[in-house]
Amino acid sequence: MTARFRLRQAWIIARLEVRRLFLSRRGLWVYGLAMLPAALFLIHGIDVQYRLGQSRRGGIVQPAVVEALQTGMTEQQVIEMAGKPQEDRQWTRRKWEERVEGGRKISEQRVAPARRMIYFDGSRRVLLFFEDGLLRDINKYQILNFPEDREVFAAIFQYYYLRLAVFFGCLGVFLNLFRGEMMDKTLHFWLLAPARRGVLLAGKFLAGWMAATAIFAGGALLAFAAMLWPHMGAEGQAYWQGPGPMHAFRYALAAAAGCAGYGSLFLAASLWVRNPIIPAAVLLVWEAARSFLPSLLQKLTVLYYLESLCPVPAPLDPEMPALLRLLLAPAEPLDPWLASAGIVLFSAVVLRAAVAGVRRLQINYSTD
Amino acid sequence: MAIYRRGYQRYDGPRTSHAERLAVLARDAWRRATAQRLVAVLLAVSCIWPLLCLLFIYVANHAELWGGLDRNFASILAVDHQFILTFMKVQAVFSVILAALAGPGLVSPDLANQGLPLYFSRPVTRADYVAARTAALAGLLSLVTWVPGLVLFAVQASMAQPGWLAANWRLGAGLVAGFLLWILLVALAAVASSAWVRWRLIAGALVLGYFFVLSGIGAVVNAIFRVEWGDLINPLRASYGVWCALLGAPMPSGLTLPMSLGALALMGVLLALVVERRLRPVEVVS
Repeated sequence: MTARFRLRQAWIIARLEVRRLFLSRRGLWVYGLAMLPAALFLIHGIDVQYRLGQSRRGGIVQPAVVEALQTGMTEQQVIEMAGKPQEDRQWTRRKWEERVEGGRKISEQRVAPARRMIYFDGSRRVLLFFEDGLLRDINKYQILNFPEDREVFAAIFQYYYLRLAVFFGCLGVFLNLFRGEMMDKTLHFWLLAPARRGVLLAGKFLAGWMAATAIFAGGALLAFAAMLWPHMGAEGQAYWQGPGPMHAFRYALAAAAGCAGYGSLFLAASLWVRNPIIPAAVLLVWEAARSFLPSLLQKLTVLYYLESLCPVPAPLDPEMPALLRLLLAPAEPLDPWLASAGIVLFSAVVLRAAVAGVRRLQINYSTD
Repeated sequence: MAIYRRGYQRYDGPRTSHAERLAVLARDAWRRATAQRLVAVLLAVSCIWPLLCLLFIYVANHAELWGGLDRNFASILAVDHQFILTFMKVQAVFSVILAALAGPGLVSPDLANQGLPLYFSRPVTRADYVAARTAALAGLLSLVTWVPGLVLFAVQASMAQPGWLAANWRLGAGLVAGFLLWILLVALAAVASSAWVRWRLIAGALVLGYFFVLSGIGAVVNAIFRVEWGDLINPLRASYGVWCALLGAPMPSGLTLPMSLGALALMGVLLALVVERRLRPVEVVS
């Protein structure tokens, strides 16, 4: 038996398994996890395009005019400067006012005219709030904000995609490889095939990794494209001709590396432990506590390598208590190539342990 | 009497009371839940955070230990609603893991082995069955949630200046009430998951996924659409809103008490519907 023959056997097993993984009804929810950010970014893109179209139809004011608007101006002054607003709404509101008369505080209610005008300067919607004919508040917000969208994507990729979607997706996919067959009482067919246990494990891991990578790296690229789509003007073109393709590649690479790292761990856990939910829960807590661990221990987490592969660092949670912030000590990220090599090495070590597990595997369908 | 004349006869002997019958189911569920060694291990692990909090309370009440440090340190070392909320958030995560471990074993085996008709052929209703399972799990979850929380509160009250308890009784009451609400949701989610999928393994993963993935989805919705209503599909965040209101802490932006309660009630109703649909006293074998 040559190594080439065994590799061929592993490839055949992978080919048979991968079809089952892609098409099984039990695994459809993994597509949902992976495609959710893409779907939401797409809805956001459509919403932004619609709002931009609506705003453009109402007329555009020069940005310099918008900057010149100041609180305290009268309605007439604003209209003279900026022209007719695209939306204008007037109403009255009841206000309680206090005044002192003869040393006594007197509260009285009066009706105050209020007005809201909306202008558009090509990228920002400007909301002007008037009371008693005077401009009280100016509220500007960018309809299309490319840097903010990129930051949102980076945060979603690291906090949702890597920590939750890839994690739980791999839990589902890789647990199904051996434990799923145990539950379906079909694993003995594989064990009766004239292939070594290690070859069977390699074939199944390869199938799981290919399926998970296609789903999650594909989902990340789709989400990236959906995020970029509404910005494909000058700003988006410049990004796409600059660092954009490399960013997309690194996001896809991080997703693929996540599938390899978490996949190998869950596959090994399904062979070593009767209830792999325990190691999964421990891993979830361990990975969540990564930033609080000493630098050396951080290198024993999958997220350390995955975050080193991401092109943009994720923003911190603004609601984190001050004491926990003091305890934060994120380790220096690795070079992306070193991080890739690190995750490959990590997966290889874990799979080596899994081989020992699959060799001592005995079928006992009744226990599951 | 000839054997062909023996037919079915309803039992008409003495019966135990309803409460006793319910207690039998709850005792059985409790035994099942605590029989796993890993549950005991997890219970021990979940004591780590309360012990650290105990240390925090000790340090916070002994100003001589940190007298030479920065003045801002005093504000960090306050045992207030922020401290209780942080404690609750961490223990809530442990309670979810505990429910994922112990919860599925309560219903899944009965479903997988077609054991439900055996229960329901006795004078036990579906509501009794679910209540007993939920109560056993709630008892287990109490050990990692409000029980250590109340111990911490009592220790703080005994160490703090006189009058602290009178001024801060709401922290203790809010902690217990907030955790009871959380336990109800977690136990219901665990029972619903184990009723939905028959395999314990998948049911456990479903419990973890329900809480962690939904929280992620809520955050994704908030981030992409720049809104705050995404918190309403996040069970932990919606509960956090209720906890803030109970403890008298400022509400998180975008959440109000009615909104949080409404979101939790909707989740509870949906989970109860799952239980109602899946737990049937008859089994159709195809």
